[in-house]
Amino acid sequence: MANPSPLDSAAIELDGLRHRYDTDDVLRGIDLSIPRGEVFGFLGHNGSGKTTTVNILTTLIRPTAGSARVCGLDVEREPMHVRQLIGYLPSDVRMYDHMTALENLEFFARLSGVERPRAAAIETLEYLDCADLADRRVGTFSTGMRQRVGIAQAVLHKPVVLFLDEPTAGLASCGVRHLRETIQRLNSELGMTIFMNTHQLSEVAKVCTSIGVLNHGELIYTDSIENTTARFPDEASLEDIYVRVEAGA
Amino acid sequence: MVWTIARQQLLTLRRSGTFIAILATMLLMTALAGFIGWMSHHTIIKVYDETVLLLTAQGKPIPANPFDSKPELALLSNLAIYVPLIGAILATIVGHIAMMEDRASGAARLLFSRPMSRSRYVIGKFLGTTIALAGVLAASAVLSTLSLVIVNMHVPAAGEVARLAVFFVISLVYMLLFALVGMAFAITSRNRSFAIVAALGVWLVLTFVVPQVTSGLRPTTSLNPITDPVSTSQPFFQVTAHARPISVSEQYKRVSASVLQTEPAEPTSRSALRVVPIFGLALLLALIVGRLVARHDYSRGLQ
Repeated sequence: MANPSPLDSAAIELDGLRHRYDTDDVLRGIDLSIPRGEVFGFLGHNGSGKTTTVNILTTLIRPTAGSARVCGLDVEREPMHVRQLIGYLPSDVRMYDHMTALENLEFFARLSGVERPRAAAIETLEYLDCADLADRRVGTFSTGMRQRVGIAQAVLHKPVVLFLDEPTAGLASCGVRHLRETIQRLNSELGMTIFMNTHQLSEVAKVCTSIGVLNHGELIYTDSIENTTARFPDEASLEDIYVRVEAGA
Repeated sequence: MVWTIARQQLLTLRRSGTFIAILATMLLMTALAGFIGWMSHHTIIKVYDETVLLLTAQGKPIPANPFDSKPELALLSNLAIYVPLIGAILATIVGHIAMMEDRASGAARLLFSRPMSRSRYVIGKFLGTTIALAGVLAASAVLSTLSLVIVNMHVPAAGEVARLAVFFVISLVYMLLFALVGMAFAITSRNRSFAIVAALGVWLVLTFVVPQVTSGLRPTTSLNPITDPVSTSQPFFQVTAHARPISVSEQYKRVSASVLQTEPAEPTSRSALRVVPIFGLALLLALIVGRLVARHDYSRGLQ
């Protein structure tokens, strides 16, 4: 596992984070701190700025203002070090269709600087119970299969923080359940901090330890799941709580 | 890491049906170049022999065999046509695939969330493209040499091999130029189809339009490996003729003709000057592509 620095810093820290696309303010000054070991559910409707936040945290784009840190490392000033600590699964995960799952994973392992890339790829596929996909071309995969191999590419270098952008999109119920179990294993067995953008509130309730709600680029709510359910005792489900939080924004 | 990117690109090309199809066409045409050279040679010799018989019977003097003074490499003169035609299209597609695949597949987002700088990425792409095109030209060189040996019964001397090597190096840079055009459009276009059409449009302009404009619309100048003087009968072409030295396809054709000895030899310094616009444009395009990759927003997908 990559060594984060400094060791006692939060997994993710956002400080007045802003981002603008042309004239559109997508993020309007987000402050957020997520301790290590959390499974954080980042909620919000389409266009609220969730993916932009992940794009900044994964160093794909630069913020317009404010700062973002992963394990204490600034994403703008130390992007290469940040990348050593993170894993990323985009919403519509696509790899190289003409390559097998193993070839894809070996390629990404090499880019991540993994010492024995092939062995790491095989080991990861076995860990995620999808070794049977190793020698099949990704182009022939179903959405669920792609998702499993996508997670394998995101974790094969054993990152400290894993970013999942709408990981349940397009998955059948059994795929969603498998994903939930995988997230729980990665968090409990490997100690990964997981930052998950999602619409699936039922899954958030089952797997996340804390949540944040983003509305039109502003973080309108953040707390642990325990505190959230305690704060809204009248609401039957997280979905009801979410609707109430959004309505109050 | 650079090599990892290059190797992945080579694997992609090896499995690309389009690349394989155009490569096969290119190699087939290369093999045919030697055969066509032999056919022309054979036909002219046949006519010459019949003429000799006729002139002997008439008691007239016999002219020298035209092929006695013709260098053997001139038999491969058609290569200078196939490279700007098929070779440049192949290169454009190689460049397009190199940059477009990562964008279209969405893999670019995964690539740039890894500890890899964009400069290493683009160098890896350049390396992969150069190796792929060098491989194509190496295969072409082997076929050319074989056609000289087998079809034309001529074992190339060391000097001829050196000339062939120079020709293929210049051809490699010429093809890289089009690969870079393919890359540039693949990075900047929001639409995959537009990217390849626009890149092929540039190929069309550089290969057919510019040479004809700079030579006063003489059709032979666009492809034929025989130099044609500039027609400056109209004022417009008197002006555009000044741009002839920077018409890359024409300079490529002329330097190839000089190297393959299709035309009378010209001073080395003059041939060296002819490659300057080719090498210069390739360098400029490489810098532009590097800049485009450095600035591109890879978090956004294609339309």
